[in-house]
Amino acid sequence: MEAGSLFRRLFRSRGGKWLLAAILPVMAVLLWQAAGTDGALAGGALPTPDRVWSAWITWAFGKAGPMTLSPYIGTWADNLGYSAMRVAKGFALAIVVGVPLGAVLGWSKWVAAMVDPSIQWLRPVPITAWLPISLAIFGIRDFGAVFLITIGAFYPIVINTTQGARDVEKSWIRAALMMGARPIDVLMRVVLPAALPSIFTGLRIGLGIGWTAVIVAEMVAVKSGLGYVLWDAYYVGRMDIVIADMVSIGLMGFLSDWLILRLEYSVLRWRRMQSFNG
Amino acid sequence: MGTIRFSGVSKIYGGPTGVRALENVDLNVAEGEFVALLGPSGCGKSTLLNLLAGFETLTDGVLSFDGTSISKPGPDRGVVFQEASLMPWLTVWQNVVFGPQVSRVPRSVYEPRAQELLRLVGLEKFHDALPVQLSGGMRQRVGIARALVMQPKALLMDEPFGALDAQTRLSMQELLLDVWQRLKTTVLFVTHDIDEAILLADRVCIMTARPGRITRDIAIDLPRPRSIEALTSVEFIHYKATIMAEMRGAHAHH
Ligand SMILES: Nc1ncnc2c1ncn2[C@@H]1O[C@H](COP(=O)(O)OP(=O)(O)OP(=O)(O)O)[C@@H](O)[C@H]1O
Ligand SMILES: [Mg+2]
Repeated sequence: MEAGSLFRRLFRSRGGKWLLAAILPVMAVLLWQAAGTDGALAGGALPTPDRVWSAWITWAFGKAGPMTLSPYIGTWADNLGYSAMRVAKGFALAIVVGVPLGAVLGWSKWVAAMVDPSIQWLRPVPITAWLPISLAIFGIRDFGAVFLITIGAFYPIVINTTQGARDVEKSWIRAALMMGARPIDVLMRVVLPAALPSIFTGLRIGLGIGWTAVIVAEMVAVKSGLGYVLWDAYYVGRMDIVIADMVSIGLMGFLSDWLILRLEYSVLRWRRMQSFNG
Repeated sequence: MGTIRFSGVSKIYGGPTGVRALENVDLNVAEGEFVALLGPSGCGKSTLLNLLAGFETLTDGVLSFDGTSISKPGPDRGVVFQEASLMPWLTVWQNVVFGPQVSRVPRSVYEPRAQELLRLVGLEKFHDALPVQLSGGMRQRVGIARALVMQPKALLMDEPFGALDAQTRLSMQELLLDVWQRLKTTVLFVTHDIDEAILLADRVCIMTARPGRITRDIAIDLPRPRSIEALTSVEFIHYKATIMAEMRGAHAHH
């Protein structure tokens, strides 16, 4: 069979898409494995995939005896859980603040004129620059990490929500007013639902930044989670754990993005039908 | 109930140097009367309607509804928009009961009323459909039901059938005649279709552009109840000739 038509057929079937998506990572892993000698490459700095894998298995499923001192036996799920929990809290906080604020900013020119410049002026300050303040205020505690995640996720959420609320069709608002809606009804029943497609865009970007922020925060501001393990493993020369940790972060980010997409798919039925109908 | 009074109304958009959309407009509409506003694009028909709806504020003059001057939109003046403007995330039913819900009308009151209206516009089978699943004519019928469910004293319609094909438009006109015959609410109906204006209205007000004003007010004494058969009657043709001459004359002034 001709290669072009084989790819087209793969692309159309569901399993085939997975197969297509797997080609690049599988090739990368194979090359990486082949490039190594004695289970390492780059002069011994980088372990090969087989060693990363076995370290990961131990990290995930190993049973620590009473005498073991290694923190990399059977602690994977705990650390993953810590990080995920922090992301969830920080992200939730960013939504609670960002979505209502964005809706009001998009809806009221007065509020926008007052608040928007401050947001745009604080936005270029990167999450890492907030670290000292966070440490000074919250210390080496959980909320320090949550705080940084909230800051990181807040901007894309508030900006996209504002944009969505600003683009609401005038006639929907007029229709609502004509039917006796009060300002709060217009906000909750017209502006917010109309802005949902943009809000979801903000949520996706915000959650991605949330995972970046949790790793940065855990490297400095707390003593648990994937970010902490990453830095700690580097210090003790466990590059196999470092790589397993990186892959775990990628997987978690991928999974949480997929969850948002699923939610969007079910919530925005009307929008999907609109675009399918042209 | 439902009396409309424009007296010396002017509207300038965008400050004193802006567009003179309306100038010195006088118009009285009595309770239960059906008045059509007819005129070329840009003559200020929508502006006039939007002032009455409370969507825009006037620059000069007096505009009152049932004797009180208009300050904001309200359910006593139901508006039917050109593109229906339904909320695309709500089903047909949710769109229709949106008004009663935000106005805190008890469910036991609005449910039978909304159901009856959906039946009246022939959409009871599309209760749970989303607006994207409807044709343009069906969407417009939801728009009418949505405005009527608030039991407005006046219905303001801005080229509601302008985007529909000829056949759908005829059936919508019949539907509207039927609904109006039953409810007898005051209607202010904007159109640029001469046939539509004569078929539906008790009075046709002809407008001209720049500045926007009403130049003629013609009573249509065709018998009621009307149907689309009226379109081919001798009297109808007579009115049409009068209005066309009037509009051509108005055009020639420019
Ligand atoms: N929001 C606005 N800002 C500035 N100018 C406006 C605005 N709305 C309307 N105008 C101007 O006022 C004039 C009248 O507009 P209007 O929409 O009332 O006309 P119309 O008779 O409804 O036209 P059409 O038949 O095309 O709908 C036009 O010159 C238009 O450009
Ligand atoms: Mg118009």
